[in-house]
Amino acid sequence: MVFWIQELNMLVFRGDKMVFRFRIKQKQYIKRLKNFSSMYFRNRLGVAGLLLLLVFILVAMLAPYIAPFNPHDVKSIGVSQPFSPPFWIKFFDKSIPSDKVYGLLGTDELGRDIFSQVVYGARVSLIVGFLAAFISIFVGTVIGLISGYIGGVVDEILMRITDILLIIPGLPLMIVLAAILGSSLMNLITVIGITSWPSIARIIRSQVLTVKEMKFIEAARAIGCGDGYIIFKHILPNVSPLIYVNAALNIANAILIEAGLSFLGLGDPNYISWGMMLFFADQYQALIKLAWWYVFPPGLCILLVVSSFVFIGHALDEILNPRLRLRR
Amino acid sequence: MPGDPVSMLIAERVLKPSVAEEVRIKFGLNLPLWQQYLLYIKNLLSGYLGYSFHWKEPVIKVIMERLPNTIMLMGVSTVFSFFIGIFLGAISAWRRGTKTDVTIVTGSLLFYSVPVFWIGMLFLMLLGYYLGLFPIAGTISRPPPREFFARIWDFLYHMTLPALTLTLISFGDYTLLMRNTLLDVLTQDYIVTARAKGLSEKVVLFRHAMRNALLPTVTAVAISLGFIVSGATLTETVFSWNGVGRLIFDAMMMRDYPVLQGAFLLISISVIIANYVADLLYGFLDPRIKYAGFQGG
Repeated sequence: MVFWIQELNMLVFRGDKMVFRFRIKQKQYIKRLKNFSSMYFRNRLGVAGLLLLLVFILVAMLAPYIAPFNPHDVKSIGVSQPFSPPFWIKFFDKSIPSDKVYGLLGTDELGRDIFSQVVYGARVSLIVGFLAAFISIFVGTVIGLISGYIGGVVDEILMRITDILLIIPGLPLMIVLAAILGSSLMNLITVIGITSWPSIARIIRSQVLTVKEMKFIEAARAIGCGDGYIIFKHILPNVSPLIYVNAALNIANAILIEAGLSFLGLGDPNYISWGMMLFFADQYQALIKLAWWYVFPPGLCILLVVSSFVFIGHALDEILNPRLRLRR
Repeated sequence: MPGDPVSMLIAERVLKPSVAEEVRIKFGLNLPLWQQYLLYIKNLLSGYLGYSFHWKEPVIKVIMERLPNTIMLMGVSTVFSFFIGIFLGAISAWRRGTKTDVTIVTGSLLFYSVPVFWIGMLFLMLLGYYLGLFPIAGTISRPPPREFFARIWDFLYHMTLPALTLTLISFGDYTLLMRNTLLDVLTQDYIVTARAKGLSEKVVLFRHAMRNALLPTVTAVAISLGFIVSGATLTETVFSWNGVGRLIFDAMMMRDYPVLQGAFLLISISVIIANYVADLLYGFLDPRIKYAGFQGG
């Protein structure tokens, strides 16, 4: 926790003042955290994103209490007729008989409750998003730090590997890996994680190259600090703002990619996800049947969750990126 | 496990199991992997990309059939999203902090977050199935129109929805990139100088600021042009567009490795070329780059 706050206060002060201290007192942590949050909460998009994200996290955690059915339970099959529209359609069109409508969001091709599936789908998206982004941020940061700090042959080798991965288009590569490894949630997370670190590694590396040349690094080395100490205490705090911004965008991308792979039928059949719902909707011709209640909600949820992370990332970027600050 | 193409053919009932061993020997699939790889390299050096197991045609023919469709679709949407992007990005940076700016930024971020296949499905359902305004699948009508111009018209008609979908999801990137660079440029000293000289705001924006802010966006477009040949798997799937992105997916599902290898090779080559072109373009557009080269040695 303390480590986290320390990172945050470094990030608040990057940009307008370069304050580098070996020890920062506890009170100052809190002061700077307040400073950061007051800046963050003035950003409307950032606040909207944060609220949206909180709603989805709550829905994902409380899914069994919100959803009338567990979509993985056989009992949920055939709760009503296949492709029944939601009940509130009757407010607009009174001619539809009562036994033809069901639930908040209607039913799918097997007569299952769509609302329950949408609620449980939040779990898959968030888990995949967080874990896949964690892997790619971790790998990207480590490789970026090593490559930028050590330089030379190590840098050359690592950057050529990064280049190769950057050249291969993302989604096709992930399709191939996901198809070879087989559809499981863990494989999906791994595939997304290990294919999306190169851009982060590049960004981190270029920042490390800038920071490495600064005077305080020279000073630290002059008083006899080791490489590990310099990397973790001096360089990492100075590249961490970039990590935060990219983490938010990375989670957003990971969620979008998971949805895409599931839409192609490469998702884990044991866990219903929004992308997979759209895959089944497409397969069972929900489009021809104009079953908008089947097509609309899962996609809208993906859009909202992804945009919540994108908004947060954008807000962090506006606050942390000195180039975007108003100078006039 | 990856699965072997011959067992795929048996599963498709194309092959009798008794002939399977013969086919394996014919395609060299019984050899160890490194020998297969050497064989592949040897064939590649003589310009032969291999033979597709599934489509039963040379790989080069399979890819070339789909390449024009993909290049048209991706090219058109990239160009459109680039121009929409620089236009909206410039307005939004110029009017920073106003309602226009907030709307453009929020809109760009929202469109960036839309799952592409979903927006495609919505278009298909509303404009294709419900209103019947646009074709629901394919690249061209069956049978295709005989006359040349009618054929082109038919192709463009089929391309409208997929191209619109791709444009919508990709313009946000360029908008934000343009906005960020322009915001940076607008704080530079030469902009202050230009204003101090009494130049009109329009001249400052178009002659002084935009020119410099375009650099990163142009480079971004040049690089993304390299990925044109990789197609858009999701969009192509939704609209049954007969392109390379869909081909890669189908080839993977059919375990048609020669086609996959061919497609990835083609993509890599074009991305490398595009990156090289982007580097050249950057030096051409920004004279400072050449200076740095001379001084730095």
